[in-house]
Amino acid sequence: MMRILLVMMGLMLLACRGAHAEELAAGISRDKIEINSRFTGTEVAIFGSVEPAIGEVVQGNRSRDIIIVVRSDRSSRALVRRKEPVGPLWVNRDVLSFAEVPEFYFIASNRLLAEIAEPSVLQQFQLGVAQLDTGPSFGVALDAAAFRQAFLQARVADQLYSQHEGAVTFMSPTLFRTTLALPPNVPSGNLRVTVYAFRNGQITSSSSMTLFIDKTGIERALSDFSQREPLLYGLSALVVAVMAGLLAAAVFQNRH
Amino acid sequence: MEIYLPIAEMPVNVFLIVGLGAAVGFLSGMFGVGGGFILTPFLMFWGIPPAVAVATQSPQIVASSVSGVVSHWRKGHVDFKMGGVLLCGGFFGSIGGIHLFNALKAAGQADLFIALAYVIFLGSIGGLMLWESVHAVRQGAGGGSRSHRSAGAHHWVHGLPLKVRFHKSKLYISAIPPLLLGLLIGVLSVVMGVGGGFILVPAMIYLLRMPTSVVVGTSLFQVVFIGAFSTLLHAITNQSVDAILAGLLIAGGVVGAQFGVRFGERLRGDWMRVCLAALLLMICVRLGVNLVWPPSNPFSVTIEAPA
Repeated sequence: MMRILLVMMGLMLLACRGAHAEELAAGISRDKIEINSRFTGTEVAIFGSVEPAIGEVVQGNRSRDIIIVVRSDRSSRALVRRKEPVGPLWVNRDVLSFAEVPEFYFIASNRLLAEIAEPSVLQQFQLGVAQLDTGPSFGVALDAAAFRQAFLQARVADQLYSQHEGAVTFMSPTLFRTTLALPPNVPSGNLRVTVYAFRNGQITSSSSMTLFIDKTGIERALSDFSQREPLLYGLSALVVAVMAGLLAAAVFQNRH
Repeated sequence: MEIYLPIAEMPVNVFLIVGLGAAVGFLSGMFGVGGGFILTPFLMFWGIPPAVAVATQSPQIVASSVSGVVSHWRKGHVDFKMGGVLLCGGFFGSIGGIHLFNALKAAGQADLFIALAYVIFLGSIGGLMLWESVHAVRQGAGGGSRSHRSAGAHHWVHGLPLKVRFHKSKLYISAIPPLLLGLLIGVLSVVMGVGGGFILVPAMIYLLRMPTSVVVGTSLFQVVFIGAFSTLLHAITNQSVDAILAGLLIAGGVVGAQFGVRFGERLRGDWMRVCLAALLLMICVRLGVNLVWPPSNPFSVTIEAPA
């Protein structure tokens, strides 16, 4: 795996030779993840090279700052409820919903995001869990920010959102890599991987690619069945349940 | 050994889930309850999304109830006539329940109402049952199942019309009380999202005065239909029944139910009521503490289907 990675990186480096302007090239070690019945999460290497423009002198141990974002194409709706005391009881009172929250979000950078760019830039490109656009919110809660904060914390706790500052490492002034750890509960669907090169707090180039996450085998068949033929799926579940119940009763009857 | 769940989209430990299914199946076979009120919180605790947890418990309830009801039926411990009357009431009750649930939701008080209803029902039923059954055990009244039924006592219930003879339950009563009871269970199962077995069982024992031995099987008979209806409803409306998770729970549940039935038979009626009362009170205390104790995190997040 590591050897293949190095060979790929070397080839990429060769391809980048002879460029006139800055060249950013990036790749992923796998572009398709198959979720089968033994899936318990996996890792994907994201790597690339960024060549400085001709005539530019590279200072320090790297040519650019690198931020890598991985997020799902799909978004869903989140409902955040807050318990409040009503007399002696704690019950859910205020509800706030966020219309478009990404199902998965991962960000890695070679140093602190705040050191790489100004907050306005980070916000514009949604760089950082705190900068995520969660879409329009609906509800009557006065302190929407607290609800948003609680939502982001819950997703971080579920490993669906994560931020890794310093996790992008440079192996040479132009070669970088990081590891994307996909948790077991990663949603299926497409993930968009985007690599941003920064210089002096501004994006100089970016490159993106798609990582497919798809169920295979029995997982795929069941999931499709449940969506396409919900009534038949429900009836099949019932038939299996009733048969299993009858079978157990019959087996145990014979034993006595 | 881990296995990936296609609908919940996460892996679970096979033995853990089969074991959980077996434990809940055991309680189901023994007490005639569906066990959803125990299963759902456990599944959610292990990170199964709430919608999937609620929906997937239904086929498990069907399976362990079928397993249990067949065994009870072989011993003549199922009153199908009574079960049918209860179901009839339950059908109309669940329609009413949907309206009540929507009205509560519109008023924004559904959560408070459900939580309070749980605690009040579990607490009062469990408390009364414990008091009566401990009393019965102390008296050492043999079979005990009918000991609390003083001979010749004449209730207002007996004056109602539409009298029906329920042979298995050894009752000749009006069909109106069981119909109303079924109606109530139907409303509650929709509003509270439970099969209602834990309310039905005590109600059949104390209100309808059925023998404890017949109550368990008859309750299971009714629970099979509620579970089946709920499975189809969840499969159609939100596609959240996870077949693999259900399969694992069922595998444990049907076997657990068989042991539950056997264990329940060896238990005297009054002792069985003590155990069920203790179970109800335990759940009541857990829910009550949840309701009163300041939460460590007041916020809760639910994710809805992709927009």
